[in-house]
Amino acid sequence: MKILKDIDELRNAGVITEEVAFKISEYYEKKTALPNNRLFIVFGILGAILVGLGIILIIAHNWDELSKITKTTYAFAPLVIGQMLCGYTLIKKQDSVVWRESTTAFLFFAVGAVLSLVSQIYNIQGNLGSFLLLWMLLCLPLIYLMRSSVASLLYLIGITYYACETGYWSEHASETYYYWALLLGALPHYYHLYRKYPRGNFMIFHNWLLPLSIVLSLGTLADTSGELMYISYFSLFGLFQLLGNSRFFYVQNPLRSAYKIVGSLGTMGLLLALSFDWFWMDLRSGDLFYSFSLGSLEFISAVILTGVALVALFYKQLEIDILDTVFGLFIPIFMLGIIWGVVMVLINVLVFVIGIFKIREGVKKDHLGIVNFGLLCITALILCRFFDTDLSFILRGILFVLIGVGFFATNYRMLKKRKING
Amino acid sequence: MGNRKMLLFFFSLVALAQVLVPAKMIFDREEVLESGTAFKFRTAPIDPSDPFRGRYITLNYLDNTQEVRDNGYWADRETLFVTFYKDDNGFARIFSISKEEPSGTKDYLKTTLSLMDPDEMDRDVTLLLNYPFQRFYMGEFKAKDAEKAYNRSLQDSSGVTYALVMIKEGEAVLKDVLIGGISIEEIVREEQLNKN
Repeated sequence: MKILKDIDELRNAGVITEEVAFKISEYYEKKTALPNNRLFIVFGILGAILVGLGIILIIAHNWDELSKITKTTYAFAPLVIGQMLCGYTLIKKQDSVVWRESTTAFLFFAVGAVLSLVSQIYNIQGNLGSFLLLWMLLCLPLIYLMRSSVASLLYLIGITYYACETGYWSEHASETYYYWALLLGALPHYYHLYRKYPRGNFMIFHNWLLPLSIVLSLGTLADTSGELMYISYFSLFGLFQLLGNSRFFYVQNPLRSAYKIVGSLGTMGLLLALSFDWFWMDLRSGDLFYSFSLGSLEFISAVILTGVALVALFYKQLEIDILDTVFGLFIPIFMLGIIWGVVMVLINVLVFVIGIFKIREGVKKDHLGIVNFGLLCITALILCRFFDTDLSFILRGILFVLIGVGFFATNYRMLKKRKING
Repeated sequence: MGNRKMLLFFFSLVALAQVLVPAKMIFDREEVLESGTAFKFRTAPIDPSDPFRGRYITLNYLDNTQEVRDNGYWADRETLFVTFYKDDNGFARIFSISKEEPSGTKDYLKTTLSLMDPDEMDRDVTLLLNYPFQRFYMGEFKAKDAEKAYNRSLQDSSGVTYALVMIKEGEAVLKDVLIGGISIEEIVREEQLNKN
């Protein structure tokens, strides 16, 4: 759209602010998208997915009263129908999102159905992991040939399932690194969405599914040097936090992407977990030294993720948030923790400081959400300390009452201030 | 070639792959079924399910271990080749295990091994062969009854349960599971008829 280009130009020239630019482009995008068409897309895709899933279930019944040839024919029928529908879409309906998305969703499931039925008829051993891998590989090209976001979303779900199946749920964890290569296969489409439909619904779904998929799958890299995964996770959450606070996402509703939510909650969750002594005791036991190697996947992932997050931090255009920097602070704390037992005190201090910073930031911006996030950080910290200290019940009780009063007082004061100002 | 034609060309390639991959799976199995050698493996089963492929019975094999001297030669999850001989009752027994593909015979199986914990005393280890034919898919309503029939047969010493497996050049296809010489499908069908 020409107007979108003009908005970019005006924003870059400083004529309009980021927020105004976002609002104008959102207005035009909404205006051009016909509500009827959107409903059509939703129902088309839902219908195709339901039919596809239904076919898989019907097939899973295992019709062993039918002959092998009949069963095989039935197995290929949905596949061929799906391919014909997609072919028709490419020839006649290439510009229709409804056709593209729903026929591709159907074909996606038909491929899964034919693979599972053939395995069933011939008692092919292959485990769930190899089945998912084959299925996803056969469907990856559909994302680009059919320009289908549904295929991309289903593919992301499939490869995440694959990573978890091979990495966590199998007796022998193996080939989990394939996931990363498979993930790269989906990224060009995500970039395409970012360029063409930055505020579209499919972009929002990707903004949620992609970070969640990565968070779930990163843990599959853990092997003998599992402690290093904490660095990887901190850096990953830091990177997400930075992405969520980037110019592109910052002006949007926070619920339009999972980056900031996953980044900040992940960082705080990890900090709270590490505010206990168990992790540091484990670290000091020295097992890491025996198992550590420069070529280990844990080390490589920690280096890559930290590197990328540092670059993102370095090039950040907006004001730096305290949560953006935690991943960098964690590395020296981790190193120190190998030799020094008191390091968990630093983690506790860090959580406390983040809480205070967030409360201050919230008050300054008059943002109740941020204030309460800060208060929650401190409350969670105190709650955690209750598990491993011998404070008397009276003292614990008083502390809780004080925190509760603090919550009320802060929220009340801020709301009152708003009323006066309003 | 125009953009659309190019797209259609690549789509046809993908569609072809989507057909050829399962077709190849079928073709490979059919070939083993047709020209492979039949072996009978003694079993003991249970009955789980797979979210995509439905119900099946899992077959555990009785003669799938081999004790060897532990000299570090065998590694866990390694691929290896196994040949079999038939014992006096016609059941398959391990004849040889090697890392190289056997020459001069087509009747060998390609599989992986699990290394069991080495015995501290005499340093013998047990190689557990993960036979790639441990799932026998059954009708949704039959697998449960099949499991029951199986468990009964295990207590009954007169009926031996075994899997009929066709083997050719490393590949194996599980053809049938039999209890006392009768196909499990038939036993279940008869049982369900009697119930009604």
